[in-house]
Amino acid sequence: MLEPLPGHLWNTETAAHLMNRAGFGGSPTDIENLRQMGLGRAVSWFVDYERIPDDTPAPDWAHPDPDEIARREAIRNAADPETRQMLQQQQYQDQVTQMAELRYWWVRRMALGPRPFQEKMTLFWHGHFATSFDKVQMPYFLWLQNETLRENATGNFNQLLIAAAEDPAMLNYLDGARSNKKAPNENFAREVMELFTLGEGHYTEMDIQQAAKAYTGWGISKDKLHYEYHRYNHDDGPKTIFGQTGNFTGEDVLNMICAKPECAQFISKKLWRFFAQDEPPQPIVDALAAEFRKGGMDLKHLMSVIFRAKEFYAPDVIRSQIKSPVQWLLASMHQLQAPLPTQPMTLVMLRQLGQELFNPPNVKGWDGGIAWITTNNLLDRYNFAAALVEGNRVPLPGLLGQMKGLLNTIAADGLLETSPVDIGPLFTPMDLSNPTSFLDALQARFLNAALAPERQGSLSDFLKSRSPLEETDIRKAIRLIMCTPEYQLT
Amino acid sequence: MNNPLFTTRRDFLRTTILGGALTWTVPSFVAQTFSALHAQADGALTQVTTGKDGPILVLIQLAGGNDGLNAVVPYTNDFYYQARPSIGIPAKQVLPLNDTLGLNPAMTGFKKLFDAGHLSIVNGVGYPNPNRSHFRATEIWQTASDEDKYLTDGWLGRYFDNACQGCDPTVAINIGPRLPQAFSSHMPTGISLENPDSYRFMGSGQNDDETLAYRSMYNPDDAVSAPNSGGSVSMVSGTVTLQNGQSALDFLERTSMDAQVSSDKIRAIAGKTPSTSIYPGSGLAKNLQLVARLIAGGLPTRVFYVSQGGYDTHTGQRGGQDARLRELGDAVKAFTDDLTAMGEFDRVMIMTFSEFGRRVHENGSQGTDHGAAAPMFLVGSKLKSGMLGAEPSLAPADLQDGDIKFNTDFRSVYASILQSWLQTNSMPILGRQFPTLPIVT
Repeated sequence: MLEPLPGHLWNTETAAHLMNRAGFGGSPTDIENLRQMGLGRAVSWFVDYERIPDDTPAPDWAHPDPDEIARREAIRNAADPETRQMLQQQQYQDQVTQMAELRYWWVRRMALGPRPFQEKMTLFWHGHFATSFDKVQMPYFLWLQNETLRENATGNFNQLLIAAAEDPAMLNYLDGARSNKKAPNENFAREVMELFTLGEGHYTEMDIQQAAKAYTGWGISKDKLHYEYHRYNHDDGPKTIFGQTGNFTGEDVLNMICAKPECAQFISKKLWRFFAQDEPPQPIVDALAAEFRKGGMDLKHLMSVIFRAKEFYAPDVIRSQIKSPVQWLLASMHQLQAPLPTQPMTLVMLRQLGQELFNPPNVKGWDGGIAWITTNNLLDRYNFAAALVEGNRVPLPGLLGQMKGLLNTIAADGLLETSPVDIGPLFTPMDLSNPTSFLDALQARFLNAALAPERQGSLSDFLKSRSPLEETDIRKAIRLIMCTPEYQLT
Repeated sequence: MNNPLFTTRRDFLRTTILGGALTWTVPSFVAQTFSALHAQADGALTQVTTGKDGPILVLIQLAGGNDGLNAVVPYTNDFYYQARPSIGIPAKQVLPLNDTLGLNPAMTGFKKLFDAGHLSIVNGVGYPNPNRSHFRATEIWQTASDEDKYLTDGWLGRYFDNACQGCDPTVAINIGPRLPQAFSSHMPTGISLENPDSYRFMGSGQNDDETLAYRSMYNPDDAVSAPNSGGSVSMVSGTVTLQNGQSALDFLERTSMDAQVSSDKIRAIAGKTPSTSIYPGSGLAKNLQLVARLIAGGLPTRVFYVSQGGYDTHTGQRGGQDARLRELGDAVKAFTDDLTAMGEFDRVMIMTFSEFGRRVHENGSQGTDHGAAAPMFLVGSKLKSGMLGAEPSLAPADLQDGDIKFNTDFRSVYASILQSWLQTNSMPILGRQFPTLPIVT
């Protein structure tokens, strides 16, 4: 179990798989470069990312703002309701604008930054330690949490858990900052065990109520800028959790949770589910959990084992997952060798497809798998494909109505346009010489695999009817291959 | 209609695709399909309902755990005020329904419905050994399972499996981004719809070559060759899995097919003039307005599903929950007014549900934590309005771990809806007989 993939199985298909799962996909050239590295170096290139400098600057507003408190007071002390409302609206506009910047900043970093795996892990943790702008409201806190997750992305899980728990965005999202020792709030206490570490069935209602006491005292500073421990608000009496009694602090409880074997199981399973396959086989989960515990809950060790394991490259793992909207967009962009669409276009697409960053549907994050797909957003994927490839000739009436509020605050309507993709770099004259070779090239670039025969037939008929191929036909063919069930897989 | 009577989507698609893609304009086959198949459903039904004129169920999920006590307030109960010193709603603010219960003051829409005899409230609804996890509790409500049983198919999915093997996908419509697990079934049924205007493949023109190629890519034989191989359409909150060996590719092929088949119909309806009724500006209201349009458009839809979030009120509950309840009451009132104006109200029943109620005692942050039993609302012109189910006791001795004990099992409400409203036998769907309530006049 979890032996490394034998050298002779490292090929274009397996290299493409690693590129898709550890990163966000790539062009045939990117995949070939990775293949040439060999499995060991290829995995190391993704996982040992500390060796690659990343000097991506933070958004310019992403720093503690000493005026935050003054601004809040100005709103509270407004002379009249109209002034208050105006100030509130102004603040909200600023926040929405900053969130748009933050989302695009992150998508760009995932797409173009030097450390794709660090960003992929950060995305994983963003869905795991979910928080959302809807509730947290402060873009600065959301950026701060994003940095916390990035810094600890492949470190020790226990440390990551404590860092994420004491992060202001989390304290806000799950009400920790509003809890007090007289009547503790159970929101965080429940979700940390159910969703972040153990899973349902491995704790009791009593464990939750007792743990809630231990977490009291964690708060946010008066100036609303950082985490702060409030001793006066901490219940330092005895608590009984998992059958042990003691004057536990919040950190104690998190350490106790991490020490439970179910925690290694839960995290290993979720990582395999995210990076490998929707239904993790129990023997693999057991082997991963053992490896995780052996490595002292070190995430980088675990991920290295996963990416080298022959099970990771099994036929029922490769191309078995439905692309998340982020994966769909970034992989498309890499395959099209096209620049990322404009900020509004990018945000409209991700939101409409069901993955608005910093706004997961609930504390469980995105369900992933088949939950990404409904009849409605599948049609949206097909239509956005046209926008990415053929240029924005298709009207997006439904979207414009729904997104108007957002668009007004972030951009002029013109920025929703896309231009036809430059097909020059995508195909050789040989590829384009006849329908058969073109169909092969299309499938190699966009699927790393073949279409089902009936769809191959339809596409082939289309190409034959258009011979010789004009540029617009080539774009239509690309768009069509993106409108297949196969293209939604990775 | 003089279309041939197709018995499955497969026949329909074979006929249209092989018969010529240019005839794709729009299927009126659906209404017939449903009734025909309904008739075939072997004894599962006590009465066959017909396509376009059959009863309709509109589900409204109140996501997050709606606090029952501050929605339907026991305004003469001292225990209530003792447990909720800061967020208890003063007796003089409630909208009284009888001598002991009154609605949250924000629910003026529901008060009007109640006064008109169009609202009934089922008190103290829950189930044994209540679960307090949002996700597990939601699954239990969506699948109608016992607390300790894990089912993958939804209760409505099982209704469709029983009533119409292979019926049109629009028989169940979810308005929103994720299809609810309640729709999940052996034979996938149901679509999700958000923007009727963009609910279609956009080519460079009508019947352009790109569109024709797209349509021909779904070979009907392959795409629906294994109707009973299982799998669900999609799920919400929880068991997001493919079952019975179905692959993600199978699932995608089926969804593509459903999208293609349903989009023509949705477009036809979206093109019709919407009603002139005025709705509030909330998302819920807009979604209900879309449901009204689809009902008026004559789809064969039996079940519509919409949801409203924001009920997880651990902090600052009065502001948050009251705002949600106001949206709910106002939206539903506008919806029923619209249906009445269109002459469709008589065939619509609305049911709300939430994964759990909340603790009787408030917490230290002017909110409430996850609890158990709570009331459900039913709205319709044909229902028996008033109070159903016994009002639960709040006396500390009668609580279970600080939570309200249930008096009516939620599956009794489902059974009542299935039997009295959807006219079907609830046994095969719910697995056993639950006592029914007199919900319909």
